[in-house]
Amino acid sequence: MSENQQLLADTSERLFADLEVVGEPSFDQIWAQVEHMQLSGLLLPEEAGGFGGDWEDFFTVVRLAGFFGIAAPLGEAIIARYATHKSSWSSKDGLHVIAPSASGELDEKNCYTGEVRQIPWGRNAETVIVELNNCTMRLKKSDAATVEEGLNPAGEARDSFIFDSAPAEITQDKGCISSFGALLRTAQIAGALDRTLGLSIEHANDRQQFGRPIAKFQAVQQNLAILAEEAAAANSAGRAAALAAICLDDAEFEIKAAKIRANMAAGAGTTIGHQTHGAIGFTKEHRLQHFTRRLISWRSEFGGDASVAERLGCEVLEHGAENFWAHLTMRSDQIGDKCNTQ
Amino acid sequence: MQTFSIRSFSTPFDAAATRASIRAFLSEHQPPGRADDRCNSWAVPDKAFSQALARAGYVGMVWPKKYGGGEKHPLERYVVLEELLAAGAPVGMHWIADRQGGPLLLRYGTKEQCEHFMPAMARAELFTCIGMSEPGSGSDLASVRTRGKRDKNGWVINGQKVWTTNAHNAHYMIALVRTVEGSERQEGLTQFLIDLSLPGVTVRPIIDLVGGHDFNEVFLEDVIVPDDMRVGEEGHGWKQVTAELSLERSGPERYLSSLALLLEFIRVNSKSPSSQSKSLIGKLTAELWTLRQMSMSTAAKLADGEDPALEAAIVKDLGNSFEQELPRVLQASADCDLSSDTDFARALALLLQVSPSFSLRGGTREILRGIIARGLGLR
Repeated sequence: MSENQQLLADTSERLFADLEVVGEPSFDQIWAQVEHMQLSGLLLPEEAGGFGGDWEDFFTVVRLAGFFGIAAPLGEAIIARYATHKSSWSSKDGLHVIAPSASGELDEKNCYTGEVRQIPWGRNAETVIVELNNCTMRLKKSDAATVEEGLNPAGEARDSFIFDSAPAEITQDKGCISSFGALLRTAQIAGALDRTLGLSIEHANDRQQFGRPIAKFQAVQQNLAILAEEAAAANSAGRAAALAAICLDDAEFEIKAAKIRANMAAGAGTTIGHQTHGAIGFTKEHRLQHFTRRLISWRSEFGGDASVAERLGCEVLEHGAENFWAHLTMRSDQIGDKCNTQ
Repeated sequence: MQTFSIRSFSTPFDAAATRASIRAFLSEHQPPGRADDRCNSWAVPDKAFSQALARAGYVGMVWPKKYGGGEKHPLERYVVLEELLAAGAPVGMHWIADRQGGPLLLRYGTKEQCEHFMPAMARAELFTCIGMSEPGSGSDLASVRTRGKRDKNGWVINGQKVWTTNAHNAHYMIALVRTVEGSERQEGLTQFLIDLSLPGVTVRPIIDLVGGHDFNEVFLEDVIVPDDMRVGEEGHGWKQVTAELSLERSGPERYLSSLALLLEFIRVNSKSPSSQSKSLIGKLTAELWTLRQMSMSTAAKLADGEDPALEAAIVKDLGNSFEQELPRVLQASADCDLSSDTDFARALALLLQVSPSFSLRGGTREILRGIIARGLGLR
């Protein structure tokens, strides 16, 4: 980690520790602080008033947001501002977010009729950026015919905007919004898994049964070792995908692989975290639920296991068995070369 | 809390060129075989292939030139190893000398030992095996009882080693021996290079469940070993055997043993794959890709002179779980006649039977998880 990255990590960590979900801060409280730090400009170049960060910086920050369960769409806002800048759209104040997908269609005048679902904190947002059929569009909430509020299982706002022939701003390139969204959820899962691991270790060392801490029982130790392995896998996969996003023009392969692996880890991590905590961790009051319920939710967002795995499987099958290894190594060698030249 | 930080695998050499060279070598020298021959290929010995590899400079790659090595960067060796394993090349004959024998001598051996043994190892003319387990000493390695007594001619060694892979082909066994009478546990252990042709040494085969001969019992009866075959200081054996475990545990051999079967599965699904098969291929690819990142990251840390022992234990356990689970998952995914003579069925049948050993060799799953738990501060 470079000095700048370390500084960014330390600063974010201090901020997020104050805003951690366990203290139940309101969205407005959180967002005022995030805006004060100008974190949503993380990926904008310095000349555009941003931090000049890259995807590894992004991973570092949003992983920490996952670690502290920050109840706000920080990563979504960072990606939205990045996409806005890339598309040379006008940049406006307020919250701008991305969404996983949209249904419906665009007409020849670029008017959109359809529904954008699962918009993170859509109720607080001015615009949403989403992919539709290989193009990227930006839509205003004020143009929506209906705004339906919803919540994911962790209680995070996931709203729907329904549009009836509303004007959309369009860029013809794909923009990788859903792919970057998958990288975001991977990073958050990685952070929340490390937190679940930390809480579980703490609990196992504190909780006494049969006259000793439950951490002294091999059955508990072996379970927590698995949790540590799963957290390690999610973190490694996520960070490697972030590095790929820096070094390759198209890192969709790596991001898909990382999201699948993080999804698997989220399942195992939730199970072991709760098993270790016993009934004590099953209450509303206990902080564990803030992280496990997020893990459950994030696994399904921006790419559930089945759909991402099927798409990655198709890509592998297109290359065929003969090129399987050559494909993997060609991509990683390119990343290694880029690291060398930086 | 973060138990695993990733280190980028950036190489001071052209990795793509290294791959191109070893692939060209393989296309010329890899013996023809079927998919089951390419499974778990670091357990498949082939002297002629190892010697061809050695002639091309792919054995002892990182060792000093004065000891017959190539003085290559450790990550260049890593690239070559993963290429060999991904291709399913039979590298079992020289594997132990290359991975453990040479590095052990380089670190703890005398100049004379290095000069005597390493050039022959690098030519793949001298093979070694590792004598650690004993009948009463498996996971509990510190309970070894094979004993060595000082004598005017050196040492008199008595005892029995078991599960000694490739002892029937090896010239020397690197043995862990208790040299201090009455010493307990990790104390009083010393490493020796025991010439397996010495009087008093008997090597007997142990045939594994599929009829293969990898393992042996090695009996040592009043074997006289000169003191210049002692490796490192007397009583430092435990420290020496545990010091290099990270190197042994995080390599590509810990997750690639079943790759040949995954490739066959991709091949048989090349036409009209079901949605379920596509998903399965995607999921297994994601796991393999992640393990590769973790193994490469650990290799990069080792190359930087660190000892990532906890990371290495994580790579091995996750990698073994993956290569062990892969045949079971594929067996469950579609009915397959395991008696049929197709590459897929043969590889599947073999791996279903031999994969239980993946989480036994080189530290059992339970031992590794214990190490991880210790690293987490639980014990």
